[in-house]
Amino acid sequence: MRSEQRLHPATLLFDMAGHVKRFAVPGLLVLVGASRSSAGPWGIPSGWEPWLLVMLVPAVLATVARYLSFRIRYDEREMVIRSGLVFRNERHVPYTRIQNVDASQNLFHRFFHVVEVRVETAGGEKEEARLSVLAQAAFDDMKRHVLQARAPLAVESVAEPATSEERGTEGTPAGETLVHLPLRELLLCGLLENKGMVLIGAASGVIWESGLGNSVMGRVMGDSESVGRSFVRALISWFVDGGPLPLARIGFGLAALLVFLVVVRIVSMVWAFVRLYDFRLTRIGDDLRTEYGLFTRVTATVPIRRVQTVTVAAGPLHRWLKRATVRVETAGGVGTQQAGASVREWLAPLIHQDAVAGLVAQVVPGVALESLDWQPVHPRAFRRAIKPKLIGIVLISLVAAIVIGRGATGLALLMLPWAVFTTRQFVAHLGWAESDEVVAMRSGWIWQRLTLARVNKIQAVALRESPFDRRAAMARVRVDTAGASEFTRIDIPYLDGEVARQLSGRLSAQAASTSFRW
Amino acid sequence: MTEPSSEPPPIADGLEHRLDPRVIPLQRITGGLTVAAFALASLGVLAIVLTVGDDIPTAVRRLLPVAWLVLVATASVVAYRWPSHHYPYTSYLVDEHGIEIRKGVYWRAVINVPRSRVQHIDVSQGPLDRRYGLGTLVLYTAGTDHARVALDGLEHGLALGIREHLLPSGADDAV
Repeated sequence: MRSEQRLHPATLLFDMAGHVKRFAVPGLLVLVGASRSSAGPWGIPSGWEPWLLVMLVPAVLATVARYLSFRIRYDEREMVIRSGLVFRNERHVPYTRIQNVDASQNLFHRFFHVVEVRVETAGGEKEEARLSVLAQAAFDDMKRHVLQARAPLAVESVAEPATSEERGTEGTPAGETLVHLPLRELLLCGLLENKGMVLIGAASGVIWESGLGNSVMGRVMGDSESVGRSFVRALISWFVDGGPLPLARIGFGLAALLVFLVVVRIVSMVWAFVRLYDFRLTRIGDDLRTEYGLFTRVTATVPIRRVQTVTVAAGPLHRWLKRATVRVETAGGVGTQQAGASVREWLAPLIHQDAVAGLVAQVVPGVALESLDWQPVHPRAFRRAIKPKLIGIVLISLVAAIVIGRGATGLALLMLPWAVFTTRQFVAHLGWAESDEVVAMRSGWIWQRLTLARVNKIQAVALRESPFDRRAAMARVRVDTAGASEFTRIDIPYLDGEVARQLSGRLSAQAASTSFRW
Repeated sequence: MTEPSSEPPPIADGLEHRLDPRVIPLQRITGGLTVAAFALASLGVLAIVLTVGDDIPTAVRRLLPVAWLVLVATASVVAYRWPSHHYPYTSYLVDEHGIEIRKGVYWRAVINVPRSRVQHIDVSQGPLDRRYGLGTLVLYTAGTDHARVALDGLEHGLALGIREHLLPSGADDAV
């Protein structure tokens, strides 16, 4: 048990591949750039490639040194990671502090039967340890150690039988499947999630950078710039001096936009298919395990009692198709916005509305979503919420009146009902609920969300009053948890001052009476 | 050294307390120093602008020093008045559950940190703080928005006392 382990020898290979990749992108850019700037043989004195190799030498040495010096040891209570040849570093990570263990495996990893492992504790932005790469067997070994060390702790919690079952099934994912996304749901998820824009943005950046963009655009649009400019000019002339409306061009533009939007959605679907392929959420004892990915297979384990908040969100299309998304926040890796970290926290990228309550009950034991007693915000909340919008409309109309004249009144008349309507909806959809176990908040009219925080995960409770709040005798209550983000925060506005005071008092007293466990 | 700290009142009395009144002169000094530094720096910039910028209209040339004077005077008044104005709006309450901190003159906040959620506590003291025997109590929680809650202007001994009270006493909180 006390023997030290090394990383898998394939580490050398993957590290080197990483270095080469890092060099490849600038190298390629140089190549492309050079081929563009001069028609001659790249305009660079020949024989520059070896110089790149010289730059690789320190990287090679570092890789070898890292591999040789890296040792991992499983002690009784902690994992000890030693690294460094010159500057020695020994890191002790107690098993009980480990928030989650993530593994990812891309195609090449799978070929070598190795995984890249990320061990996260609550502290800091970076993961506690990144083990790249570990043999599959070594990873199972590590999971066993971490789980075993946790087992005596888990006894304290209610799920005693589950723990013994977990020990019995060690390593094998024989838990209860909570969520599984078949192909249809995957594609639907991509369609609803609409991440295609991000991809297209990235791709267009690359294309632009490489100079391919101009020629492509030129070929597609004729001379693109002049088309765009003359279109804008025609629009302005129609607006200003009543020239002919460029209908054909508008039609063409709208059609192009439509095609573009469809393409974006399709890209998004393909992306979802690749990324979330065979998404499966299983409950193994007291742990939630998610597995997904077509090429890069990711396995993430989150202990249920480390779940800080649960957020159920649904956009208009989601609701129309009776679907929702469910995600959790954990304390690990706060602030990491990498794709891996953010996806891990998805309990369900897409789930049928009827199944949400069941899933939430699994993750937050003892809480029935439908039995929550939702409270509205203050009856005068609408009056409060509309005021800044009215001021905004007045300002915009004034500016518009100066620029385009009387027409601005029409603008204001158009914006006014819209603002009233949206604000009414926004206020109507605000709500909060509280039970002995959780505090919850829901908000959003078009994009609705509902966030639950367990009382024993509350870190601090803040009652805030702006000058406007005080004038209206209102306040807002913010519940701070570990790993909260803008999207999953419980921050209830427009509460009656007295209600807010009582709520924050109750919550902090409840939080104080439970002891916080990571 | 000072009378209030020599007697041993219980720290977790569940009553609202204001900060040590010595925080007012202390904040006036720090405010004054900030204003002085800012005034000197802007004076330098002003001098350079006036000597280099020949094409600045005379009206503006005359107005600039006046504007500078008005700004510095206002800032000085604010630096002097603000600490005493702001003093009654900051208070804290320690009881067996934890600590409650009130802050803010216009935008007010009451922050409740349960004792069991405190990760660690700093009590820090700057050079000026030492002269006045004051200290800053900084609570760290595992939260996000209130990961760091600071209360400055406590009598140093009292800050240490609150720290002792809030820090987890047993090993049962270890996990």
